[in-house]
Amino acid sequence: MTTVLKTEAISMQFGGLTAVDSLSLDIQKNDLVGIIGPNGAGKTTAFNMITGHYLPTKGNVLLNGETINGVRPAVITQKGIARTFQNIRLFKDLSVLDNIRIAAHSRCEYSFIDNIFRTKKFKDSEKEIEKEAIKLLSIFKMQDYREHLAKNLPYGMQRRLEIARAMATKPSLLLLDEPAAGMNPIETIELTKLIRWIRDEFKLAILLIEHDMRLVMDVCEKIYVLDYGKTIASGTPSEIQNNPKVIEAYLGSEGVDNE
Amino acid sequence: MDYFLYLTQMCGIFMILAMGLNLINGLCGQFSLGHAGFWAVGAYTGAAFSVFLDLPLPGFAVLLLACIVGFIASAIAGLIIGIPCLRLRGDYLAIATLGFGEIIRIVFMNMDSVGGPRGFTDIPKLANLFWVYLFVVLSIIFCINLIRGGYGRAIISIREDEIAAESMGIQTFKYKTLAFCIGAGMAGLAGVLFAHTTQFISPNNFTFMWSVIILLMIILGGLGSISGAIVGAVILTLLPEILRLLGPTISEWRMVIYSVLLIVLMLAKPTGIFGKQELSLPFFKKEKA
Repeated sequence: MTTVLKTEAISMQFGGLTAVDSLSLDIQKNDLVGIIGPNGAGKTTAFNMITGHYLPTKGNVLLNGETINGVRPAVITQKGIARTFQNIRLFKDLSVLDNIRIAAHSRCEYSFIDNIFRTKKFKDSEKEIEKEAIKLLSIFKMQDYREHLAKNLPYGMQRRLEIARAMATKPSLLLLDEPAAGMNPIETIELTKLIRWIRDEFKLAILLIEHDMRLVMDVCEKIYVLDYGKTIASGTPSEIQNNPKVIEAYLGSEGVDNE
Repeated sequence: MDYFLYLTQMCGIFMILAMGLNLINGLCGQFSLGHAGFWAVGAYTGAAFSVFLDLPLPGFAVLLLACIVGFIASAIAGLIIGIPCLRLRGDYLAIATLGFGEIIRIVFMNMDSVGGPRGFTDIPKLANLFWVYLFVVLSIIFCINLIRGGYGRAIISIREDEIAAESMGIQTFKYKTLAFCIGAGMAGLAGVLFAHTTQFISPNNFTFMWSVIILLMIILGGLGSISGAIVGAVILTLLPEILRLLGPTISEWRMVIYSVLLIVLMLAKPTGIFGKQELSLPFFKKEKA
């Protein structure tokens, strides 16, 4: 097994507040890992450190063995981490196809001059990008919607498009920030299938943050639990479900016995 | 007749200015209010080029070279101003670019070699209808080709959602600077043509008011639409002049009527005449499908 992402005790401090304290993740290829925790536990902060939006105050982030601290988010994406957002951030006024093509832009080989003069290189490369984009859309069963504006799609499909767009950057690690937020139970079940299927189809690692316990327990093979920035538990879903510390973090302790 | 020729030429110059600002403001979504400053840089460098160097070349060659020099000078000015300013967003960027636009004007005001507040006189009349509209056509082709390629899409993605664009591997700062430089360069090009049309430029030609008027052109036409920028430029160049011609009473009230017409237009169609759409001939549509 090859390690895709490794974080070596990363911490993030905002003034006196430690939002994330010594988080050590180890994600292998084909892993499906979840981070859970109550509100304010530091899950999104952890995501922002991995994607380069925050520079960890301590510790290193390694992607495929390479340190990526302090690298700009766009460059990290080019190196192989793609993400989706908790509140969908599509390019709303552009077509579905354009959304995908923009994500493929960092792979386009032509220069600005080629673009302006529409050289042969430009046309070949554009054709290639379009072909790939349509292929990706048909994998996600959205090829019929390719000329629609992203804002006109139904909610569930917008989520799917956002994942498809992230996949267009050809990542080795996909980060999903609360993918089931705002979904009804049926859509959530579909999403569960979709996430598993993406992992098997594209052979990549997926790391997700989620509040929906059913989704996390169903889909993840390994779970990290954060509380007040500290990693209080990690393990398989069944280990987590029976871990007293986790139950304490979510439901409060049973300290009444002692009184 | 000369007057109409002059107006037609001015329409073309404003089309180029509006397309340049449309690239920065409409496509890339960066709110710039310093466009008149870049216009001034182009006008002054172009005029200085043809007056001071006085190359032994035919008129059109001098004009072409002046256009290239003006474009490059303004693009460099755009680069210098863009690098610190483009770290700001929205209103803050608008204020910073407004400040820089004024600084450029004041600098020319205090440069005695180019006439200072008295203005730059005796610029040869090299631009004519043909050259102005040649550059208009070239600018249109440039803009259309840009937005139909990956670079244009990257620029538009920044307008749509900067955070998402960055997360999709688009180096947003690079593309913002690119759009800003090209937009400034186009303003410079318009400046060279302007200087060689009017034969006289002074710092008062390039006040903050003009940045606002150019902004009005693209908002009126529809932010992000090239056709909109062109139509907006024509309307806002001709409207005050047409009102002037409609008899003494209307002429007296023309600035009021002009403002009221603008308000009515914006109330009737808040997204501008074209919205984000382009005027497309069946010929273009066929190619797209």
